[in-house]
Parts: sequence; C-alpha cells; structure tokens
Amino acid sequence: MNKGLIIAAVLALAPTFAAAESFQNAFEMNRAMYGKGHVFTWQGKQYTTQHEEEAEAAVKATKANAEALLDKAKAKNAEVAELGYEWKLTRGLLKEAQTAIDEGDYQKALNLAAQAKYHARMGIQQYHYAQANWHLAVPQ
Amino acid sequence: MKIIRKLALGFAVAAATHITYAADTGFDMQTVDPEADRIALQNYYKSRFPDTELADYVNGIYSVDADSREQWVELEEFPPYEFDVEKGEELFNIAFANGKGYADCFENGGIGIRHKYPYWNKEEGTVKTLEQEINECRVKNGEEALKWSKGPIAQISAYMAWTSRDKVFDIQIPEDDPRAKAAYLEGKKFFYSKRGQLNLSCANCHLQGSNIRIRADLPGPQLGHVTHFPVFRSKWGELGTLHRRYSGCHRDSRSDPLKPQAEEFRNLEYFQSYMSNGLVANGPGARK
Repeated sequence: MNKGLIIAAVLALAPTFAAAESFQNAFEMNRAMYGKGHVFTWQGKQYTTQHEEEAEAAVKATKANAEALLDKAKAKNAEVAELGYEWKLTRGLLKEAQTAIDEGDYQKALNLAAQAKYHARMGIQQYHYAQANWHLAVPQ
Repeated sequence: MKIIRKLALGFAVAAATHITYAADTGFDMQTVDPEADRIALQNYYKSRFPDTELADYVNGIYSVDADSREQWVELEEFPPYEFDVEKGEELFNIAFANGKGYADCFENGGIGIRHKYPYWNKEEGTVKTLEQEINECRVKNGEEALKWSKGPIAQISAYMAWTSRDKVFDIQIPEDDPRAKAAYLEGKKFFYSKRGQLNLSCANCHLQGSNIRIRADLPGPQLGHVTHFPVFRSKWGELGTLHRRYSGCHRDSRSDPLKPQAEEFRNLEYFQSYMSNGLVANGPGARK
C-alpha cells in the first residue's frame, strides 16, 4: 500500500476515531460497573458516580424540600413532553410523590420525585441523541 | 510533487467516502429520496432472508418464519376476521340519518380504494388516512365520530380493505408540495428514532429485530408491514387498526403513547406505506 495514501487517509479519518473519552462516557462506565457512590478519576480529578437527582434527594426530608424537588421534576417532565419523548411511567411517579407528600412521607416523596426527574432528564438526552443519530440505523 | 499528488489522491479517496455517504442516505429535505429508501429496504430484506419472495412480505412474520406460517395457514382456513368483514359491510351500507352513506364520501363508492391510503392532502397540508376519512365522513353527515382503535371503525376499514385485496400500493409523494416530502421524512425519522425507557425504535424490532425472538414474540418485517391492516390479533382477541398497533408498540417501549391518528402516527403510516409500494393490499389479516 502506498505510504502517502495511507497517511492522508488516516489524517482525514482521524477525527472519527480519536475522540477522547468524554466525562459522560467515563461516568456511565463507572456507574455501570460499580454502582452509585463510587469514586473515579477523570482527567486528573475525582468524581463520584452519583446522578444529580440522587444528590438532590439526599437532603433533609422535609415537606418544603420534597415539594421543591417535585416541582423540579414536573418542570423537567413538561420539557420532555414538549419534545414528544415523555416516558410512560413518569406521570405515575409524580402522582405517587404527591401522594407521599400528602401522607407526610417526605423521604419517599423525595425518592419518587428524584426518579421522575431522572426519567425526564434521560428522555431529553434520548431526544437529542435521536436527533443526531437516527440516520445510523437506516439501511443503505 | 509526487508526494503532494499522492496526498491529494488520499484526501480525495477519504473525502469521497463522506460524499457518497451523504448522497445515499437522504436524511434531510435536500437529500431524502423515498424511492432510494424503498429499494434499500428491499435489498436489506433480500440479503437478510434470501429465500423469501418480495411479494410474500405482505404476510408479515409468516413470510420469514416457516413454523409460524404453518399455524397461520391453518388459521386462515377459517379466518378470525371473517365476521368482522361481514359486520363492516353491514355498517358500511347503513345510511346516515340524512340519508347519505359512506359510499357518498369516497371515490368509487369506497370500494377497492384501501391501497390508495394514506395520501397527501395538499389543501389541508396533511397526511390523510382511511380511518380518518371514515370518521370525517360521519361528522360531515351529522353523525358522531367512532372511536379510533377498534370496533366499528376497524370493521368498516376491514370491509374496505377486503374490497381492495390484490390491488397494488402506489403511495405518491407529490413533488409540487415540499410539505409532503417533509411529512414522509418525519415518518422515516420517527421509525428510526429510539424512544421510551427501553430505548427502542420501531426499527429495533421491525428491521434489525425481524424474526428475532423478543420473549415469546417474533417481530414482523418492516417491508409489507401495513398491507394487511386492520388485523385480528390473537393477543387482542379482536380486530384493531394500524394506529392501535402503533400506540401499543409505543407503550411497549415504555413511551407515553401518542393517540391514534396523531400527526406523528399518520406521517409514520405515510412512510411505512410508501415502503410497501409495489406490494398488494391483503387486509384484513390475522396475527398472533
């Protein structure tokens, strides 16, 4: 094979293969392998495998905190619904969280609201992924 | 000079792969080519299931799975949709309170026209489906709209499909209205986009997953997918429309399902029906 041809092709195709590991990939790999609460290093700094909603639910279990997280979850779900990517179980989780608040079980409400918000956030990510990648599945 | 020439040639080769890719795929209004999509889909299935004749894809999963086909052939001796077709004919011929009927709303009195649906309606700027026009006919004549998914609307649609058997699908995407191509493209995009908590697209089950078991089910191929609707599904124990199936699939992926006849589903039907151009209408069908 001609050396000039190889070098040029490699240079042209390099961006396709040489992408550095993103934080998202590093997080997801560590989360999948070790679960939540694991500490990992990315680009010289340490991070934990905790979803943002898990951090949001790890607050004092009060009515105000539960209501605040539920409001955030509802807003996030409205956002994903607007994109047409709402997940099936999310509204049920929101209702259950409200019920838990009404019954005074604020920790349960925080956990349910966190789960609902996570669903909505993932739905939004899924929408953006689909926008960028749907064509990869089309037969040529 | 020689090195420069070689480098230029190398870049050209590498760039050409990208250019070819863009020309083939058709993912936006500038490049989308429905006919290229249809041929590519046929070629995909020719390669995947070389023993299946293209014309046989109207039989869904039974075109590619011999065991299922054997059971289905027996089932078709006394088709479970037979009574629904009879009921559909009866309903079709009952006059509305104003003395008019379905025959007054459709071309050729509504007989032998199923294969022309869905179509692009330029005046309304939207895709129209058969079931949609059945209900519009009712409303225009002072009757209540029927529920979309099952029951009388599926039976009337089944009768109309029955009168259209063996007629060849020839869905048109008018070139003088770019909105038609945009609707097709939206339908195509919907088909290939992953959705829901299970992160599944229509294509995951009905293209890559054709004839690959999902628990106890074998998903049917995308090619010929719409030709046999409405269907009597053993799982439902009754007849249902294509959009009932769409809602069910959407729900199965753990998406919040769209309602039957939503614009997104009508665009999806437009795309899927175009993919079946050249195949015959054979509805209603019987499926597991």
